Amino acid sequence: MARFILRKAEPKDVSDILRLIKELAKFEEMEEKVILTEKDLLEDGFGDHPFYHCLVAEVPEDQCSEGSTVIGFAMYYFTYDPWIGKLLYLEDFFVMHQYRGLGIGSHILKVLSETAVKTRCSSMHFIVAENNSKSIEFYKRRGAADLSSEEGWRLFEIDKKDLLKMSSQ
Amino acid sequence: MDFKLRKAEPADVSDILRLVKELAKHEEMEDQVLLTEKDLLEDGFGETPFYRCVLAEVQTETSRSKVVGFAMYYFTYDPWVGKQLYLEDFFIMEAYRGLGIGSELLRHLSDLAVTCRCTGMMFVVAENNEPSIRFYKRRGAEDLSKDEGWRVFRFDRDSLLRMATPTEE
Repeated sequence: MARFILRKAEPKDVSDILRLIKELAKFEEMEEKVILTEKDLLEDGFGDHPFYHCLVAEVPEDQCSEGSTVIGFAMYYFTYDPWIGKLLYLEDFFVMHQYRGLGIGSHILKVLSETAVKTRCSSMHFIVAENNSKSIEFYKRRGAADLSSEEGWRLFEIDKKDLLKMSSQ
Repeated sequence: MDFKLRKAEPADVSDILRLVKELAKHEEMEDQVLLTEKDLLEDGFGETPFYRCVLAEVQTETSRSKVVGFAMYYFTYDPWVGKQLYLEDFFIMEAYRGLGIGSELLRHLSDLAVTCRCTGMMFVVAENNEPSIRFYKRRGAEDLSKDEGWRVFRFDRDSLLRMATPTEE
């Protein structure tokens, strides 16, 4: 039975966090889209006002085949629903391939649920690609509702060039 | 008609709640607003603001100022590109539409996003809300749900509590 621990990320973890973000992006065939740097992650996550929070999963040194002991992470932040208040938003969630099926993902979700309840959040939100059926099943098994399907919400974005266009009008 | 935009202050929480409820009523969901003025005060004007608000104000005939519109937003984090501005609620009272207040609010938010070094602004729109979809698309917004197949998911409080409680194995 694999041993692992979950802990809050610290400033020294930013290189592992970036590595895992890139691994997840690679998994989605989008690795070149990651333009964030370790410096950004450090300033944005461990400065005066953290813009994100991170949990990292670690295995003992004798259990990792190469490099770092950090083999999974969850990145989240708090959002606000004007009807019910604080929400926990799960932004990224990834466990390295060779460490799957050991209960690490379930445990991360459990800790996040506890965090959400403790900070008096009404729910946890996240998005999933509609073709990612494995993840959809993982979440649905634990009670997640597909709001896009049930409530018809569509996620929109205005990117920087259009923001600049609007702000200079 | 002259109007001005300004940052919300603690004294504005009753107007914010009024407009949140008006928007909810507009979506036939007024009874779902459980938030109170006290919540809005603690959550928006405490040590860590969980949301921010910009208000639109007009001068009435009797020279009193009236809050007729608002935008509620907060900052989120995209692990590929960093900070984003998330537009949560955006509403102008019916009687004050068509005067350019909405456009000006969006322009103000775009300014803010660019100043805070956000790479984009995100928001959800109900798929049957065609006037809003057109308003946003005219300004360059992309429908990520359509273009990239993202679906919004949620774990509600019951599911969170269930996940957070240790299960028997």
